[in-house]
Amino acid sequence: MAKQQTEVRDLQEGSYVMIDDTACKINSYSTAKPGKHGSAKARVEAEGVFDGKKRSLSQPVDAKIWVPIIERKQGQVVSVDGDDMQVMDLETYETITMRIPEDADVSPDENIEYLEMENQRKII
Amino acid sequence: MFPGATDEREVTDATDDAIRGSHTDTGGQESDRDGANFVVVGAPLDATTTFHPGTRFGPQRIRSFAAPFDDYDHRSDRHFSDLGVVDRGDVRAWDDVAEYLEYLTSTLREVVWNDGIPLLLGGEHTVSLAGVRAVEPEVFVCLDAHLDCYDVYDGNPLSHAAVTRRIVEDVDSIEEAILLGVRTGSEAEWERAAADDVTVVPPEDVAEWSHDGQFADRDVYLSVDIDAVDPGYAPGTGTMEPFGLEPRDIRDVVHAVAPHADGFDVVEVNDRDDGQAAALAAKLVREFVFSHVDG
Repeated sequence: MAKQQTEVRDLQEGSYVMIDDTACKINSYSTAKPGKHGSAKARVEAEGVFDGKKRSLSQPVDAKIWVPIIERKQGQVVSVDGDDMQVMDLETYETITMRIPEDADVSPDENIEYLEMENQRKII
Repeated sequence: MFPGATDEREVTDATDDAIRGSHTDTGGQESDRDGANFVVVGAPLDATTTFHPGTRFGPQRIRSFAAPFDDYDHRSDRHFSDLGVVDRGDVRAWDDVAEYLEYLTSTLREVVWNDGIPLLLGGEHTVSLAGVRAVEPEVFVCLDAHLDCYDVYDGNPLSHAAVTRRIVEDVDSIEEAILLGVRTGSEAEWERAAADDVTVVPPEDVAEWSHDGQFADRDVYLSVDIDAVDPGYAPGTGTMEPFGLEPRDIRDVVHAVAPHADGFDVVEVNDRDDGQAAALAAKLVREFVFSHVDG
């Protein structure tokens, strides 16, 4: 999995982080002041990018943490077949099959943007 | 450690293994945090107390005075240590109240996301705002001597004297507040409390109060400000107000509301008595747990 390491203190709302080996988007980031002999801690509330499940973590701000590298791509809908659609990557011209999200209304020739990490994709 | 709970305190530089071991009393069932039914979190905030301070010692006092209680509850025929209670320790307070509440909310929200019931030990009443934000209930049921309906107190909208108003007006999920045992407030607070989204039940009517099924299909949060009880029973609180509730009245309200509640707190306990307030608070935590489990 494409990922890179950073410190918890460098995370911010709207960016990505790995929690429970799952790529998540950060919804909330808050920090606790250090105790007299403790280190400052951060709490992160996040939501799985591909599964939508809410997760959280609490770590010292200087702890190392993995951040997933998620590609943002552009594609064109080639065809729609039931719950699936064929999408052509506008950079590589590779054609892939994607599940149409329940709340999305797509039609052939339409351009879409999507996130891709390994074999997981999500329309944005 | 709350007696009968499993120790789930986060390891920090200030809680080494020796300290953790000396305070641990698992009392039976081991429960991982994700599988916990109830999660105790201490919130020793003592930033806006207006008369006697000392709520920073509340969580510690409550845990301490829970020690002599029997694990077995005759009424429910259950053992407290069998009910999946874990203690996450305290979220150490600091003086930026807004920032602290944000952090505390996040801690409690994790409990809710894992299908646990937060049991919040105050701390001043302001911490209830974090509990309600995390649980996002429709109804806020609160036992309190005071209306806590100031818009701003001493220039501070996050004063403990304004917490009920913050909850009613700033938490989107809240539809109404039911305030039991209230006997004092400013003229402006009484005017605010006369609106449709607030119901005030005076101390003399609490024993007869019933929710009459109004909590069916609604999410409820229960908050106990220990000053709701008459100060003769619980003098260890910051702003004592005479002519209060009997401890048994509060217990009966907790029994009635607990089966419907998704979050609970007991607040405003300080260290200025011989443990009366803390013992009552600790007992109410346990009564809440037993009653919630019994449904």
